[in-house]
Amino acid sequence: MKTRNLILTAILTALALVAFTIEAAIPPLTPIYGIKLGIANVFTLFALYALGTRYAAALLFLRIVLGSIFTGQVVSFIYSLTGGVLAFLLMVLLKRFFPLKQVWILSVLCAVMHNIGQLLAAIFMTSTVQIIYYLPVLVVSGIIAGAFTGLCAQLVFIRLKKWSESRYS
Amino acid sequence: MKTRTWIIVLSSAVIVFAIWWLFISNSLSPSKIVGIYQNGNLVEKIDLNSVTGEREITLSGEFGKNVVLVSHGHIEMKSAECPDKICVKHGALEKSGTPIVCLPNKVVIQFEDTSDDVDAKTGVAG
Repeated sequence: MKTRNLILTAILTALALVAFTIEAAIPPLTPIYGIKLGIANVFTLFALYALGTRYAAALLFLRIVLGSIFTGQVVSFIYSLTGGVLAFLLMVLLKRFFPLKQVWILSVLCAVMHNIGQLLAAIFMTSTVQIIYYLPVLVVSGIIAGAFTGLCAQLVFIRLKKWSESRYS
Repeated sequence: MKTRTWIIVLSSAVIVFAIWWLFISNSLSPSKIVGIYQNGNLVEKIDLNSVTGEREITLSGEFGKNVVLVSHGHIEMKSAECPDKICVKHGALEKSGTPIVCLPNKVVIQFEDTSDDVDAKTGVAG
């Protein structure tokens, strides 16, 4: 059972890295930092529900470190890490309040938290408080992106669960 | 909470924050005084109305150089050697709510609020 989880984590990490790398290659839609879909988070959410906290944490950390190396965006590493860790902590804390049909809501809250974390990191790094002006647009983009990625993870997880139950039970 | 309640809460949050964003990103700055900051320190303070001709200011940071172009009533990031160039795509600084930010080189260009600016009162010259 443990080997199975290990392999699943490795596969999911690889998939998350592919999604992350492809998304990083797309030029930014807006001249504002932090507005993106974050497709890689589908895999973090999925791992959290399918495998558990430890595996999801390992996936997230590996994805951030390797993703920064693969895309060469050293700058974004610190922002990814701050946002990712804060969002993940919130995700683990609030998970029990959200049934499977509400995974996307949890995802929305975490995406907003992720963007706030990134903004705080940016304020800290530049020592310029005025960047807080970008808060509202980051909250809106976080809600939309979080709903999308959360819905992806939720639908895949529910379908796979039904499928494996019908197959193995 | 029910999913329906969540949908209402989240969509009203989207509307509120979107209106807030539209409001601040369209508010024109009362002054034409801009401050160029790097690592949180004021590099230069310029009154755009008193600028004649064109001038370039070069800032160097960890990820290469940023060139700021200043002319009468106009300031923009002309070029940057950082990887993303988001500051260049930002275009000219027009609204007080959307400062030009270059995260790699930690450069921020923003309008100074003349009414209650602590720096202006303490007389930190540009």
